[in-house]
Amino acid sequence: MRKMLFLATTILAAALYSASANAEQKEVTVWSWFVQSTMEKSIAAFEKAHPDIKVKYTYYNYSPEYITALKAAAASGSLPDVIGLQPGSLTQQYRENLEAVNERAAKEWGDKWAEKVFPVNRKQMLMGNPKGDENYYIIPQESQVLCIWYNRKIFEKLNLSVPKTYADLKAAAKALTDNGYIPMFQGAADGWQNENVFLMLANQFSAGIVDKAQAGETPWTAPELVAAMKAWKGLFDDGIFQQGALGAHAYPTGAQLFAQGKVGMMALGSWWMQESKFPPPLSEFVQNMDGFDFFYLPPVKDGNSASPPVGGIDIGYGLTKNGGKNPEAWTFLAELTNGVGLQEALNDLNDLPAFEGNSPKGDITDHVKEMSARFMADLPKAENQRFASPAVAEALDNALAGVAAGSTEPEAALAAVQAASEKALAAK
Amino acid sequence: MRAGAAIAAVKRRSASRASTLYLFALPATLLFVVFIAYPILWVAGQSLYSGTTDGRAIFAGFANYKTILGDPTFWIVVRNMVLWGVITIPVQMLIGGLLAYFIERHTHALRGFFRTMFFLPVVTSVSVISLVWVQIYAPYYGIAQEYLKHVGIIMTTSPIGDPKTAIYALIIVNIWQWTGFSMLMYIAGMANLPSEVLDAARIDGARGWRLAVHVIVPMLSPATKSLLLLGVIGTLQTFPIVHLMTGGGPNRASEVFGTFIFKQSFVLGDTASGAALSVIVLVTALVLSLVQIALLGARLSPAGKEQP
Repeated sequence: MRKMLFLATTILAAALYSASANAEQKEVTVWSWFVQSTMEKSIAAFEKAHPDIKVKYTYYNYSPEYITALKAAAASGSLPDVIGLQPGSLTQQYRENLEAVNERAAKEWGDKWAEKVFPVNRKQMLMGNPKGDENYYIIPQESQVLCIWYNRKIFEKLNLSVPKTYADLKAAAKALTDNGYIPMFQGAADGWQNENVFLMLANQFSAGIVDKAQAGETPWTAPELVAAMKAWKGLFDDGIFQQGALGAHAYPTGAQLFAQGKVGMMALGSWWMQESKFPPPLSEFVQNMDGFDFFYLPPVKDGNSASPPVGGIDIGYGLTKNGGKNPEAWTFLAELTNGVGLQEALNDLNDLPAFEGNSPKGDITDHVKEMSARFMADLPKAENQRFASPAVAEALDNALAGVAAGSTEPEAALAAVQAASEKALAAK
Repeated sequence: MRAGAAIAAVKRRSASRASTLYLFALPATLLFVVFIAYPILWVAGQSLYSGTTDGRAIFAGFANYKTILGDPTFWIVVRNMVLWGVITIPVQMLIGGLLAYFIERHTHALRGFFRTMFFLPVVTSVSVISLVWVQIYAPYYGIAQEYLKHVGIIMTTSPIGDPKTAIYALIIVNIWQWTGFSMLMYIAGMANLPSEVLDAARIDGARGWRLAVHVIVPMLSPATKSLLLLGVIGTLQTFPIVHLMTGGGPNRASEVFGTFIFKQSFVLGDTASGAALSVIVLVTALVLSLVQIALLGARLSPAGKEQP
């Protein structure tokens, strides 16, 4: 009997201890497509700083897994506390499920916190909001700047210099092709890479014109955009892009070939630096980014300047209505975007910070530091990379593919984008 | 009196037996209602509403259907689906049937090896298949190009990058992946062929091609009908290979129902038109299945019984 009593007491004590331990440790749930290994480092740093909070992270591939999971969870009211977001269309799709974070951010970082966010990011944070809604539903974690990366070891071997004119670019592409390299790898089966190159071109003809077209202030059929579309076709016809680019994907195919030293140039962004932090074995080109450097697309027409930096938010996070009821969720979100979590992501060279005053630390070479500093210097003057309406982005993707394939003329293709834009603006 | 009691007892027993049978059917019925019937009705309901920018849903009647039917992309999808079904189903059956015939009749020690090899693509991840085929199709540095250059052929474009050829290039991948399944169905059908019929045919002088065409092929009609039905349903369900290889492009040239519904619902956030499209696919699948059953009968496996 005494034994039974002892056993019962032990079980009761264990149950109570376990319940109290669970009560002490609060949990935050997070979903995103963000690189798992880097997120784990950010979470470890956060949990070290906040030992009473446990973060449960679920990683998804972006498409189709992440966007379908979000849709299903939003419909059933079971979104996690914090979700990864892109500015514009993705954030707007879930605006009704998200908390406005203005007050929490002001309390955390001071009334003028938004001024510490780079201007292009700030603009993107409000992108697609209904007129008069100045609330922020996304806090950016990382920024990016788009550019043309080149393999400087191959360039050196072939006595090529960074192209300053379109003629230089064509000559470099020809030299690369003649020597058995892929000139500039374009994953033109991916809409995002086509959009990025088109934005470089369009902003070269008239800085900010795509933003004006999105807002309905300039038609998509404006001469500058038609000229940019023709220049886009020229990149295929002039042998700048590899043959068969329309059937190719930037990831994993293009990135792997580029990392292996089989490609001369590729239109990517500041995130490419993270390749050097991936687990070994790394190629001689990727090791410490020794083989790579970047430039902006040279003027494709006499009288143009080189493309200005284009970019903005790489990834941001939103606090869901469920997360709004969990105080620890904001604590995590704040640390992830502008605290210990962000620092870990920067140290992993995942991308550039979204808030001023942050920089990567740790084991980073002078070459990477120098490139990172150049990106950071360009970020404050970057043109917007994002689209407020997914329908407009989709129409532009189709227009770019149609023109590249030769099945649509630039004017007709842009007229289709204009139609989609008018419809989207009317629905707003 | 005694007879009446016996009848009553029989009635009681049969009523109790019927309720027991209903009880056995209950779990399956519940699963069907929760996971199939309710979602179908929910989607059908959603297709009659349209969303507003502030998240409200307003009744739209058949407006979503009208919009979808007026969208040129819908008709590209219909054309692609017809091409997909008309090409993949017979070609898979033909190649699968020939493979099954040669493996079963002309291989002995290596029969298991050949069966496994030809079935391997069916169980391979679609992600892997799409990665490999994108590389095969790539001009300039692709796998096919490596071989073609020996016969003087230089690929200047990728078949999946050209709007005119993209859908055919995807159809080839689909045939490569699923022919092993047709082969397996025919192997199963051949294993069930009554040996006495085959022996009688041989005694009557039927050999080789004649035996195959006039005896084996007609006796394999249940397998053929099953493949036809599954092929039509599979065609309407096509999604991963297109999503991963072309995303429905270039410029929507290879769009299929799956990718179109996905884009409308999840990329553009227009769940109402996505729901309308889903209902159209569902009704199409239902009608095509009923037509096939009406025309070909319901005997879909060698063990199945012909419906009157």
